[in-house]
Order: sequence, then structure tokens, then C-alpha cells
Amino acid sequence: MKLLLIEDEKELALSIQKYLTHKDFVCEWVYKKQDAIEKISMYEYDCILLDLMLPDGNGFEILKEIKDQNKSEGIIIISAKETLETKIEGFRIGADDYLTKPFHLSELLVRIQALIRRKNFNGNNIVVFNEINIDILSKTVRVNNKLIDTTKKEIDLLLYLIGNENRVLSKSAIAEHLSGDMADMLDNHDFVYAHIKNLKKKLNEAGSRDYIKSVYGLGYKWKND
Amino acid sequence: MTKNLLHTTLSVYLLYSLLILLIAAPVLYFATQQLYLQEADDTLLLHKKEFIQYVAPTMDKEDIGAWNKFNRNRKIYPAESLQNDSIYNTTYYDTLDAELEPYRELKASVTIQERIYTYTSKINLVESEDIIKSIGLLFFITISVLLAGLFFITKRLSLSLWKPFYKILQQIETFEIDKTQTLQFTPGRIEEFNRLRISIQKLIERNTSIYATQKEFIENAAHELQTPLAVFQAKIDSLMQRTDVTQGQSEILDSLNTAVARFNRLNKNLLLLSKMENAVYSDKITISLTNYIHKNLDFFKEQANAKNIHIKIDIEKNMEIKLNPILADILISNLFLNAIKHNIQDGEIIISAKKGNLTFSNSGQAMPLKQEHLFNRFSKVNPSEDGTGLGLSIVKKIADINHFKVSYHYTSNLHSFTITF
Repeated sequence: MKLLLIEDEKELALSIQKYLTHKDFVCEWVYKKQDAIEKISMYEYDCILLDLMLPDGNGFEILKEIKDQNKSEGIIIISAKETLETKIEGFRIGADDYLTKPFHLSELLVRIQALIRRKNFNGNNIVVFNEINIDILSKTVRVNNKLIDTTKKEIDLLLYLIGNENRVLSKSAIAEHLSGDMADMLDNHDFVYAHIKNLKKKLNEAGSRDYIKSVYGLGYKWKND
Repeated sequence: MTKNLLHTTLSVYLLYSLLILLIAAPVLYFATQQLYLQEADDTLLLHKKEFIQYVAPTMDKEDIGAWNKFNRNRKIYPAESLQNDSIYNTTYYDTLDAELEPYRELKASVTIQERIYTYTSKINLVESEDIIKSIGLLFFITISVLLAGLFFITKRLSLSLWKPFYKILQQIETFEIDKTQTLQFTPGRIEEFNRLRISIQKLIERNTSIYATQKEFIENAAHELQTPLAVFQAKIDSLMQRTDVTQGQSEILDSLNTAVARFNRLNKNLLLLSKMENAVYSDKITISLTNYIHKNLDFFKEQANAKNIHIKIDIEKNMEIKLNPILADILISNLFLNAIKHNIQDGEIIISAKKGNLTFSNSGQAMPLKQEHLFNRFSKVNPSEDGTGLGLSIVKKIADINHFKVSYHYTSNLHSFTITF
């Protein structure tokens, strides 16, 4: 999978690049509008991460350029601009997702995965991890081909954990992911523990191996050992 | 007790007028009476002088009988010795009116053909009483008309004179610094009021501009903080992935993570407050409050589960309000989360929505909260808690910009926050 990161904040870009390069992603980084447009016209990407405020222009101009070239890349805007107008404008021009800064790298990763899944969608939208099989459209989870009863939230959590395989996820990152728009008001993240516990129990009862590990003092990790 | 400006002026005028009337009436009465007596005395003395000068030298002893017979008011009696003149009040029985009437009488000694007589002369004072009464009445009427006239002229004049003042007052009363409105004062012809108007206008303009700068600063600051915050967050996320993190380091990382999450929430909420002040969410639609409460109920129940809180809902089937949908979500979420956050283990939450009121009641600490700073930014009941201290001020702000009322009550161990639409 090839990603293009267009971001002028070097430190942020390096962290994103490192986090994403971890698995089967290749992440290229540019920080100028001109370089971005050059890269986009020369190569094909699976997903483009686009900051809106760049030293030599506006991210929206790149977005328009991509659409003018009839490119089919998935585009996620990552910006500090959080107004509804900017978001609507972004979606109108053709962005697929919008992530407001600051965000957790784990959140960015699952958004990219979800976008690529939607883009490459061919009849079935299924995530498989060893004995676990998740059908995203019908919202069902099977372990060893046996359907287990899960809530929407638990499926969401499962996808988030699997998507961030081998990465430590803090309680607040998980809480923010699960609570969506409510995250800004939520100052208690204890409910994460209950969700993890329930999911773990359901998976174990269905005969799945124990992939969810607690990481002392930090949070949780999905690990295939 | 405060009094209206016009009432105060008029009541002072009225009091003064009454006082003058009360004092002037008896003074006038006595003064007129005194003047009349003086006049009567002068007349009596003049008559006596005339008598001595013209009548007495031509009189005989025999004439005295005739004189006394034809003069009702002037009599002459024989006397033993000479006496000094004396004037006094006395009463005589009037056979015509059949009553006692007051008289002024002069008693003097006169000499007729070298014999001493006593000369008495009297004037009826009944007429004088009538005149004094008439004068008094006339005076009273004149003064009353004068005062009444003054009173009404002052009232009318004051009303029109103070009109610009009341106009300015009314405009200042409706002025709110966080609303985008400009005050339009029209210049008048009274110099002092023009000065007042100009000063107030300057004051308001200055304050509005300071307020705008402040507002802009908060919004810019919150906005500018997002990028470094994003770097901070990303670096912590990256650091957490390292396998060589020791136990002590992971504890520090966890604290940092909590802190950055709180920082982020604070920043977002400050931005939200700024945006509300900038009237970003001013477009309203009719929404069903009932639906909005039910929409996120699962999420809140999940939050409440941690404390095993029982939620009781008592809402009208379809309660509709006019509000921006984003603000409706924020309003309900903040009230709900507030009720959860300050609740006790195994506590309860009662949500009631009826007759234009939305109330969230929750169990909590067993004493009422101090109302004073309850809705202020960063006011916290418990300073050590994790909250941003912005939740209730966001609720208040939403209510303010939509002209709803927020109130807090504490009854039977329940803390209640009510929004009146």
C-alpha cells in the first residue's frame, strides 16, 4: 500500500510516517503544495493524507487538482481547522474523510484502513485475523466460523484493535475512538475497561486465542504470539 | 427603596407647596385680622377726634339725650373723673340677628361745657370676619391654582426634558456586550445629555473593541495550540510503541497521555465557546428534544454503568424546541455527563422534559452547590477533579444565545439543572 503524506509540520509528519510504515504501508512525505502535485501526477497512491495549510498554498487546491486529473485515490484531510464549513467544503470537493488535529496515530491508521477497504470493495468487505472473521457490512463476527453475539461498539473496538496490531493503545485513545463526537466532553475513560473485558470474554468463549494484552500503565495491545 | 427621578422631584415640590400653604394660611389670617383691627381703631380714634373738634364745642347738656337717642354706636355718659383712652374687644347682643356679635369699642373722656363725660364708640367686627374669610379663600384658591399649574408644567417639562435620558437608559439596559449590535443614539438639544450620550458611546465602543480582541485572542490561541498539541500527541503515541520503555517510564507516559487528553478537551471546549460567541451556531431549526435525548441514550447509559447509576426518564412524547442541532447535542451531552460525573455510586438521574422545561436531576454530594460561580468558566466544585470546568458554562452559553433560562435547585438530595425554553 502506498500513502502520500502532505504535511508541513515536520515533527508531526515524521511521527505519522514512522507509525504508518510499520506494517505493509509505504509512506512518502512532502511538505509543499508544488511537490505534492508533482508526485500525484507521477505516481499512483492508495491513500493521500492532506493538510490544508501549506507554506505555498492551500490543501484544497491540491484536492481540486487530484479531482481534475480524475484520480481515484482515497483522500483524508488532516487539519487544525475544525469548523463545519471547512469540513463540508472538503467533502464537497471530494475528500473521503476528515480528521481534526490533534488526533491519535492509531485513529489515523484505522481511518486509512477503512478507507482503503471501501475503495477496494468488491462485493465483500471482510477483515480476517487468524480464526476471527469480521463482516463489516452485515456487522457480524465469526470465530472459527461460529457466529458470536457482539454489539456494534464491540465490533468497532475489535476492528480498531486488529487495525493497530502490535501497537500499544492508550485508554484515552480507545475512549476517543469509541465515543466519536462526544470525546471532547468525556473526561472519564473507565468505560473502556468494561468494553475490553466483554470483548475478551466473548472471543475467548468462542474459542479464540487471547490476543488482547494489557500493557502495564499504558493500555492495551492486540498481539499475535 | 429607590424612587423614580420624576416622582422624587414632584414629591419635593408638592411637600414644599403644602408646607407653604399650611404656614401661609394662618399667618395671612392673623395678619389680615390685625390690619382690620388697626383700621377699626384708626376709625374709632378719628371719630373721637372729629367729635372733640367739631361736635363737642357746639353741644349743650340737653343735646346729649338726643345724641344718644339717634346714635346707635356712639354714646355719651356722665363721668366722675378723667380717664385715659382705652380700646378693647367686647360683645353685644344683636336683637336683629338674635345673637352675640363681636365689637371693637373705644372709651374716652370728653369735656362738654366744662363737664366730664365718657364717650364710647363701637364698630361691629362681624363684617371684618367675613372679609377675612373671603380674602383667605381667594388667597387659597389663587395659590392652589398656581401650585397645580406649576406642578403640571414641571411634570410635563421634566418628562420631555428627561426623555433623552430615559432613551439612553433603555438602550444601555438592553445592551449586551457579547451580542453583535451597535447602539444608535440620536443627538438631542440638551447639552448635558449629549455629553452623556457621547461618553457612553465611547465607553461602549471601547469595551466592545476590547471584548472583540479578547474573544479573537482566545479563539486564535486555541486554534494555534492545535498543531503543537498534535505533535505532542503523536510523539507520545510513538514513544508508547517503544519496547524499551521501563515501568517507571510508562507511568510517566500514562500521566502525560491523560494530561494531553485533558489539554485537548479544554482547547476544543474553549474553541466551542468562542465560536458560540461569534454566532457561528446561530441558524436554528425545530427539533424534537425527545429524539435528541433518546439518540445518545445508549452512550450515556454506558457511562453511567461504571457508577451503577439508575436513569429514570420522564419526557413528553414530542417536545419541540427551536435550536441549532449541533448545540442541541452539546447541550444534552453536557447536562447528561454533568449528572453522571458528579453522581455517587448507585446514584440516580432523573430526566424530565415537559411544559417547556428540561430538567436533569442527579444524586450527589449532600449539600447544595454554591450558585455564585456555578456557571463560570473553570469553576469547579472539586478543584482536583479531571473535568475541564467548562461544561456548565457551555450549557449557560447555549441558553444565553438562544434566550433560554438555566436554573439550579437542590431539593431532597437531588441537584437539578433546569433549562426553560
